[in-house]
Amino acid sequence: MNRAGDISGLQRVVLNERSRLLRFLAARGMGEDAEDVLHDLWQRVAATPTQPIADPLSYLFRAAENLVRDRRRSTVSRERRHQDWHDASVGDEEEAQGERALIAREQLRQIQQALAALGPRVELVFRRCRLDGIGQAVIARELGVSLSSVEKDLQKAYRALAQLRAKFDAE
Amino acid sequence: MSAQHLEIEEAARLWAIRLQDPAFEDWDGFTEWLEQDPTRLAAYEAVLADTAWAEALLASAPAPVAAPAVDVQPRRRWWVGAGTAVAAAVAAVGGWAVLDRDAPAQQIATAPGEHRTIALADGSKLALNGDTRVTIDPDTPRHVVLEQGEARFEVRHDAGDPFVVMAGGTRLLDAGTVFNVVQDGDALEVAVAEGAVIYQPGPGEVRLAPGDTLKRPGRGADLVLGRVNPQAIGSWASGELHYDNASLEQVARDLTRSLGRPVRTADGAGKLPISGTLRLDGTPEEILARAGPFLGVRFVKNGEGWTMSPANGAPR
Repeated sequence: MNRAGDISGLQRVVLNERSRLLRFLAARGMGEDAEDVLHDLWQRVAATPTQPIADPLSYLFRAAENLVRDRRRSTVSRERRHQDWHDASVGDEEEAQGERALIAREQLRQIQQALAALGPRVELVFRRCRLDGIGQAVIARELGVSLSSVEKDLQKAYRALAQLRAKFDAE
Repeated sequence: MSAQHLEIEEAARLWAIRLQDPAFEDWDGFTEWLEQDPTRLAAYEAVLADTAWAEALLASAPAPVAAPAVDVQPRRRWWVGAGTAVAAAVAAVGGWAVLDRDAPAQQIATAPGEHRTIALADGSKLALNGDTRVTIDPDTPRHVVLEQGEARFEVRHDAGDPFVVMAGGTRLLDAGTVFNVVQDGDALEVAVAEGAVIYQPGPGEVRLAPGDTLKRPGRGADLVLGRVNPQAIGSWASGELHYDNASLEQVARDLTRSLGRPVRTADGAGKLPISGTLRLDGTPEEILARAGPFLGVRFVKNGEGWTMSPANGAPR
């Protein structure tokens, strides 16, 4: 089998760094599925159009992390669908939806309040980083603060959000 | 909740923050951290869930009407901040220049050690390092000639009207936002912090992505392509020098531009790659006092400037 000739450069990196990637996937809780995820990764990079990639290994780790997150998300939403179906069969669907929207608005209000309480910059930094996908060094430059201030803002935001979510879960 | 658990939560948050950054590289470190204790994975997953929850809700709402101190002109604040930090560092005239459209083409030059920030009519900005000369025609604000020296460009990208930098007789076409150019005689260096830059658009063009560097040692010389941490590129403009596996020669060159006085390397003064951050505030003597231990060298006064010698070598 002449594999070396017809696989992409990225696939070659997957082969070469197979054990490192598998170790990462195992540590990320993929257990028995680690090989499966690695196979998905292989398929995905095969489908990636050839373009120069700055740091192939980092690129692969990031892609692997995203695959893990996708898997978790689909498990969670599958569970949620079961739950919703169950809820809908006991309650009134429309009423449930209206209530969910109301809860979401209230949660959003409290998130904004919690972030605002941490200073004028924190929500902005969180948005730039998470919603706009901007690198932290760039955010630091935009705001005229150091990289570590941006990291500290994000830490404050993440901490506050964890507390808030724990509070909602307890309610 | 136990102190140990809180500690794990804090660490998980920090990993999640660092991983979120496109420049994150320490995947093996993250793997090892996860492996050391099975509760760490759950803590990390909880951080992902918490922040995804907030992210989804925030995405449904308009961005906040910001507090004036921060958001009204965040970029402007940055440039002013950087200008003052550097001005303080080297006691230079750190100035703002806003160009009028009707003015004739002008040449703007900085003295060694001087930093200057220029706002162009289209909203793009360039920061000039010391000993630098650019020509800008206000009628064509998206065409800048770097005659000599080093400039960091922060370009408002417009695919229909690309921003062009001429340096050393070569066209550099912006396909993104932030990049640094050094022109020294016939030598040219381009480094991209964000977005992309096309070197010499046309057949045989070279497209540079974030973290890519291109060096052309002289006119017609072969191009040398390299990689650096994108965060380190053009960092001089923010009053700090960031290095990721840089050579001592590179540091000497940057110090020369920033201090406005020659800094040279001596033979045997360390061949180890330099990584880390060097702040540029204070007097040249204070900056060098910090730089010495960081670089593992001694700075020996030498005429106008300094020479780097091995920290524990014999005085020369």
